[in-house]
Amino acid sequence: MKLRAHGMAVDAPRGWEVRISRRRREGQEVGAERRPVLHAATVALPEERGDFGGGVTPLLSEEDLFVSLFEYGPEAVGTPLFATKGRPRPTVADFAPNRLQRSIPGQSGCQWFFQEGGRAFCLYVVLGSHARRAALVNRLNDVLATLDLDADASR
Amino acid sequence: MTVLVTVLLVGLTVAVALLGVLVVGLLRSHAEILRSLHELGAGREDTAPRAAGPVDVPFGVRPGVLEPAGVTGAGAVDVSGETPDGDSVQFSVTAGPDTLLAFLSSGCLTCHGIWERFRDRTPLGLPAGTRLVVVTQGTERESATAVEKLAAPGLAVVMSTAVWEAYEVPGSPYFVLVDGTAGRVAGEGSATSWEQVERLVTEATGDRARDIAAHRHGHGEDTGDGAHREARADRELLAAGIAPGHPSLELTAEEVAELPRAQG
Repeated sequence: MKLRAHGMAVDAPRGWEVRISRRRREGQEVGAERRPVLHAATVALPEERGDFGGGVTPLLSEEDLFVSLFEYGPEAVGTPLFATKGRPRPTVADFAPNRLQRSIPGQSGCQWFFQEGGRAFCLYVVLGSHARRAALVNRLNDVLATLDLDADASR
Repeated sequence: MTVLVTVLLVGLTVAVALLGVLVVGLLRSHAEILRSLHELGAGREDTAPRAAGPVDVPFGVRPGVLEPAGVTGAGAVDVSGETPDGDSVQFSVTAGPDTLLAFLSSGCLTCHGIWERFRDRTPLGLPAGTRLVVVTQGTERESATAVEKLAAPGLAVVMSTAVWEAYEVPGSPYFVLVDGTAGRVAGEGSATSWEQVERLVTEATGDRARDIAAHRHGHGEDTGDGAHREARADRELLAAGIAPGHPSLELTAEEVAELPRAQG
């Protein structure tokens, strides 16, 4: 089923958990602007979880993966960090255990900063197993291929 | 004159014969109808001898409350839709342990007691690991504002008419417990209070645990009759995630015998 909200849309495969919501960045105070975030995983997503998988990645088995697509504010679009235009096409070579925000033995991860349609994003992916990254990256790309990002940044 | 009488007699004989065939056909058709009705259970109250002792009163529930359907073994579908505050979500019923789907509406009076129980901060008494997801009809039939007011903070609420249709929900309140391991409905039914739901869930999970334990420890000597054995086989197949229509049920004995060699 195609899930759509806050200028993001993705086909949610059977067995995947997906949330497209607005969240305040971790550490920001109540009342701060909430930004669109897409979380997808092959495990049940806890209600209490971090923007980049805190509370989720410890649940991943060797056959699971977690995806976070976080949108930053419009002021980020012009910064060098988000200079890459267009969404990434993850490959097996992109992933490494030392690219995780929270290191968990056996897992692998990678993050990409990019802009698309005048919006600044960070895509962060955690694979449950570095050894099985080839198969997991295929599953990841099947989902990312269905991702739609609206160009309108004024939501 | 004789010829005329003969023709009349022959004609009458033929007519009587045709009518006889017609009557026999009608009687036969009538007998078949009666037999079919009997097989469907019609007329049992009229034909059964009256018992002198206590009479079994059929189980009934309060008007407006739906009767439980029990274990169905039907395949479960993921729960996708909007949240009252405009997010878009999918809860997978197979991504974790059991999921209890509570089909509620903002309008039904019985549902209000359930909503209120969810706002209560005391534990819901569900088995460990069981996740609760409330499903209302979609925004074309429900007020997102009304649902948001009723929902407790942090309660998972999905608004989707498609999910109601997929689970063939007859009305609200209605509860479906999905076995996350098998991806199948472990039990479903209605309830007027959360305590009844707790009991439904406890019984469903308890029955499943008992079936699994019985399966693991062997069955011993089977002394039951054919119907008993058939019911037990159904329970065990459902516990193993095999419901009507499962591909394995299509296999012949020869194909089953070939399986170990083919997979080995």
